[in-house]
Amino acid sequence: MTTLQIGHSPNRRAPALSGSVLWIILGLLIVAPVGSFLLLATSPRLFGQGPQYFTLRFFSQALSGVTGQGIVNSLWVSLVVATLAVAMATTLAWLVQRTNVYGRRLWPILMWLLFLIPTWMMTLSWVDVLQPYGSAAALGVSTSWLYGEFLGPFGIITVLSIASLPFAYFVVSAGLLGLGSEFEDAARIHGAGRAATLRTVVPMIAPALLSAFAISFAETMSDFGVPFTLAYHSHFPMATYTLFASISTYPANFSVAAVIALVLILTTVPPIVLQSVVTRRRSYATLSGRAREVRRREFSTPARLAVSAAVGLVFVIGLGVPVGGAVLGSFLRNLGIYAAGPVRFSSVYYHQVFAPSIVGKGFAAPLMLSNQLGLIAASATVALALVFARRLMLRSSHWSQRLTDVMLMGSVAVPGVVLGVGYVFFYNQGFLTTHVIDLYKTMPLLVLALVATALPGQTRFFSGPVAQIQPSLTEASRVHGAARWRAWRTTSLPLMSRVMLWGWLLTFAKTISELPISQILYPPSQEPLSVTIQAYLGNFQLGTGTAMTVVGLVEIFVVIAAALGLYRVVTPRGWQRIGWSGVGA
Amino acid sequence: MKINHTMKRVSLTAAVLAATTAWLVPTSIASAAGPTLVVYSAQGYDKAAVAAFNATHPGFTVTLNDNSTGPLLQQIQAEGHNPKWGVLWVDGATAFAELDRQGLLAKNIVPKVSFNAVGRANIPADGSFVPTGLTATGALVYDSAQISKSQLPKTWAQLSAAKYKGMLGMNDPTQSGPTYPLIAGLMNYLGHYTKGSTSAAVKAGESFLTKLKANGLVINATNGPTLGAIQSHAIKMAIIQSSAGYGQELTASPSIRVDYLNPVTALPGVIGIDALMPKTVRAEAQKFVDWVLSRAGQHVMQTGDPQGDSLFWPVLNGEKPANKVLPPLASVPMQTINPYVWGPLENSVNSWFTNNINNG
Amino acid sequence: MKAASLEVRHLTKTFADKVVLDDVSLSVARGEFLVLLGPSGSGKTTLLRCLAGIERADAGEIEIDERLVAGPRTFVTPDKRHLSMVFQDYALWPHLSVRQNVGYALAKWPAPERRRRVDDLLERVGIAPLAERYPNQLSGGEQQRVALARALAADVGLVLFDEPLSNLDADRREQLRIEIATLTREVGVTAVYITHDQGEAFAMADQICVLNHGRLVQSGPPESVYREPVNAFVARFTGLAADLPVEVLCPCGPRGYDVALPFAGDHRVRAHAPVTLAAGVRARLYVRAAGVRLSREHHEGIAGTVRDVAFVGRGYEHVVQVGENEIITKVFSETRHERDSAVRVCFDAASSFVLADAEGADRT
Repeated sequence: MTTLQIGHSPNRRAPALSGSVLWIILGLLIVAPVGSFLLLATSPRLFGQGPQYFTLRFFSQALSGVTGQGIVNSLWVSLVVATLAVAMATTLAWLVQRTNVYGRRLWPILMWLLFLIPTWMMTLSWVDVLQPYGSAAALGVSTSWLYGEFLGPFGIITVLSIASLPFAYFVVSAGLLGLGSEFEDAARIHGAGRAATLRTVVPMIAPALLSAFAISFAETMSDFGVPFTLAYHSHFPMATYTLFASISTYPANFSVAAVIALVLILTTVPPIVLQSVVTRRRSYATLSGRAREVRRREFSTPARLAVSAAVGLVFVIGLGVPVGGAVLGSFLRNLGIYAAGPVRFSSVYYHQVFAPSIVGKGFAAPLMLSNQLGLIAASATVALALVFARRLMLRSSHWSQRLTDVMLMGSVAVPGVVLGVGYVFFYNQGFLTTHVIDLYKTMPLLVLALVATALPGQTRFFSGPVAQIQPSLTEASRVHGAARWRAWRTTSLPLMSRVMLWGWLLTFAKTISELPISQILYPPSQEPLSVTIQAYLGNFQLGTGTAMTVVGLVEIFVVIAAALGLYRVVTPRGWQRIGWSGVGA
Repeated sequence: MKINHTMKRVSLTAAVLAATTAWLVPTSIASAAGPTLVVYSAQGYDKAAVAAFNATHPGFTVTLNDNSTGPLLQQIQAEGHNPKWGVLWVDGATAFAELDRQGLLAKNIVPKVSFNAVGRANIPADGSFVPTGLTATGALVYDSAQISKSQLPKTWAQLSAAKYKGMLGMNDPTQSGPTYPLIAGLMNYLGHYTKGSTSAAVKAGESFLTKLKANGLVINATNGPTLGAIQSHAIKMAIIQSSAGYGQELTASPSIRVDYLNPVTALPGVIGIDALMPKTVRAEAQKFVDWVLSRAGQHVMQTGDPQGDSLFWPVLNGEKPANKVLPPLASVPMQTINPYVWGPLENSVNSWFTNNINNG
Repeated sequence: MKAASLEVRHLTKTFADKVVLDDVSLSVARGEFLVLLGPSGSGKTTLLRCLAGIERADAGEIEIDERLVAGPRTFVTPDKRHLSMVFQDYALWPHLSVRQNVGYALAKWPAPERRRRVDDLLERVGIAPLAERYPNQLSGGEQQRVALARALAADVGLVLFDEPLSNLDADRREQLRIEIATLTREVGVTAVYITHDQGEAFAMADQICVLNHGRLVQSGPPESVYREPVNAFVARFTGLAADLPVEVLCPCGPRGYDVALPFAGDHRVRAHAPVTLAAGVRARLYVRAAGVRLSREHHEGIAGTVRDVAFVGRGYEHVVQVGENEIITKVFSETRHERDSAVRVCFDAASSFVLADAEGADRT
């Protein structure tokens, strides 16, 4: 009996029809703005940024000196990070799904929370904790031995690996879920040792591993938080930082930035092509009514404790210290300040959150606005990502589908600042603003950009679960008298509901903490929360800024808890039986 | 019982959807009709200023794009010849000189008010921008708990002495707005620049910064981390913007003091008007500029961000600094650099800094 | 609802450059059980999916119950075709209980009637006690029973079966095959059933259609397909014991021929042929298992050597080598002939057919 089944290619007319609409959406959201920005690499004159209609001089400029060094650093760091992340993710997914490790329900949820912690926050909190007179010192722990190590490739790779762990985990987890334990059993029975069993099983989840590698790599290449904080302090230039630096002086050199952006995007192509080649040869449609329980490996109690502790450590590093550090730091009166006297705790910063020292810089209005933005952007992103994911998973090998695939993956590597500035170039063209629509510096455009930045990742995120739904489940529904809408509502929706909910929450949280795009595109006098917090942090009001961050995080967690609770109450019992590798049933 | 549960579920879903929709409606009714005046500003007191202006000028609403100087200039440059900004209000005249060179600034916008000497020195001949207040960049901000005033260097040259090894910090000009004017000011002073070619002056400045680096200069991105480095005793002093030092003295660390080597560079808060916008809006923009330089406007500037950007020296005769922590302007050895000379060099100087000082 | 009739005319379908269905026409009477038999890749699944409306044909027409559901300018979506289907992978919705799965197609029925109908079907397929369970709490056989109940519960005139037994083990397969055959007739619907298993096909069908390379090769009642295969493919696919090269000697009687085996000297074998053959033509002789027996008489049949022998309960099945390297399988005998023993193999004329060798190239 086989559990892996190739689905039949569905009706070919539907994708052809919806295809052009999707292309237009993708074009307006991502391709045109990013393309406008990238055009500057060779043709700055097109957007009035220089005299040349065509030149290659910015390539030599960008590929040499510190910017060249930044690209090289980003490349090797991303390769190392993606490898580490996939290795850790595979181990963790195996532990959670196939062993009796403690906390099997807890780890996936913590993985989720880890998803929500931006890398800059992870870094800054670690610095807050480790720095001289930081939080750890306030608690009487000496950290000077670690601080120097942390400010360097060791710290950079650690933070980035843990940050991209969730991406890898959810992909690998889905792949492993589709792998019945009979494969492992079969390998064992045929006299294979543990290593040989791995050799048998690993190729079977190779598509998932490659997919995880590709996405970790792209996310790491495009990460901005670490290059801007940790790597910057360590004088270790990375590509996104040099990109940012080249457009933050005045006049900005958009052309050099465009070359770096182009390199960032191009580097993600080989992993995605490799992955799609491998994926296309195998199917991983597995969510049918025939799923069976898998056998778990039983650790002895000491081994079980040790393994669980090791897993816990990962989350202490990625989650415990950043969140704990931020909370502690926000209550510490003299964070990072040399003090002879005893440590002073105080809630003064929280008073300042609600009674701001800078006139007019309130907290409530930005918080409200960001929640609204999160709500709209998350809903739109989830809806679009579902459609795109379905399209990517169609088994036709149409070139436009592959191109969409590559483009969506390439977009993962587009730094937010590139997308934001690209939006200015494209949506503020004279022709567009006078003859079509003037969206620049309006709320709708900010929403579009927020959707654009979340869409590629979200599509990746959905494509696994979408592929796991056997096409026959929907076909059965149509054949048994359900019209298109009822078929979707009664089969796809219930099966995807949990994934959709988590995807929604993820985009919601990421939208609230999103900075570079919000900063560039927010409509005058309507400041989102992240911009306000940044203003405080940038205005050396670290305490207030940190307290705001903590309050913002708490609010996000409350929304997540409320949404999960609501899901439990309003969805039918059967829906809740549908587990998902991300969180389980 | 089962029906009951379903009913409950349906009504709960409906309630949530209804509440959500109701909540979303106000946002979706978006923008006002017609052209509006948008102020692009990086000043800490800008919100207070815009709010006060709107309160006293009914019938026309000014909106605010509040950001750091870097992103604001980035947006203006990307907007190119289809600008959305009406008024730009940031520290440092060099960027304004560059905008003026590109023809993006309206000329002759200087209000008829009584400027003091330093104020007058910072008004360009074509009147394309106006100083609204004054701080100094390159102020020597130090921690009096670590180093006493008598131990401080007395000249710029002494900063590279072995005695101060590893004690000094500064910001990264690609990250911190006031830092390029500081470097340009150093070049201007060390190269004895008066007019003509700047290459000798640039060389002099570069060689000085290289010496500072050899002497253990610590670079941080912006004022925040640099002040943090002082407070954690990683360094003892830093050359940054005066208002940042005073702000810190008034808030987190009373042992912080500000001193001035001869000379520091005047860093005016500058306001300018977009040349390309519709006439009606432009008239409003002029009203806004006039108001900023009025008594009422100056008052809001001095109270809007009391521990930050409000710590400036007024450029108008008859106005005094809001806080006693600022010494009299006359006691500060301040030079003014020509923004039209130094503005165009910002990009090349900054990349030299990135390649040789920050990462070299 | 009454059993529906089905009419397929000139159905053609291509994927990329591959012709999957090539001008297929067939008709099924009301209440008839049609089996589409063919190897994998023969187009039977595509044909079934076209009937269901999951797939669209490029040309041709489909009429269900005298209503055109697919044609040049017509396409009725699956939900409007009034049919139901049992899927190879069961396709049970994992988030719905057994009861909800079975009642899915009856959404518009009043609740009490729906309940009665579902209970009835669950009772008939023997899984009434499992009504409140979810699919992943059931065994494979139980899951396929649910799928069967779901298809039969739907108030439709046509039920499609997509190799429903292929994921089951032999015991359960036999049992469920009988249930499908009887229940379908009890409920009184028309059935189209696809399989690659000829045993299944002969056991269940009122009518068999054999498909190969997208073409309908032969159709008719099981008996005629078995006894009178129109070509080598059908003959082979419906089960053979012997497949040997021969030379046609002479016609003898209506479509009866004597043929000579190259390795059997002047021994002649009598066989019939669906088409006329000329004397002297090279051809192939096909013999059903039922038409092969062993003899100890020296003058009877052709000489062979036993290569293998298997005990099958009621007797023994032998593999016999004849000539240089020709093999005859499934040679039944109540007595055991040891390996390497010499035997004589006889063919029964009624179960032997001869076809021109050109078709012999059409192997699958």
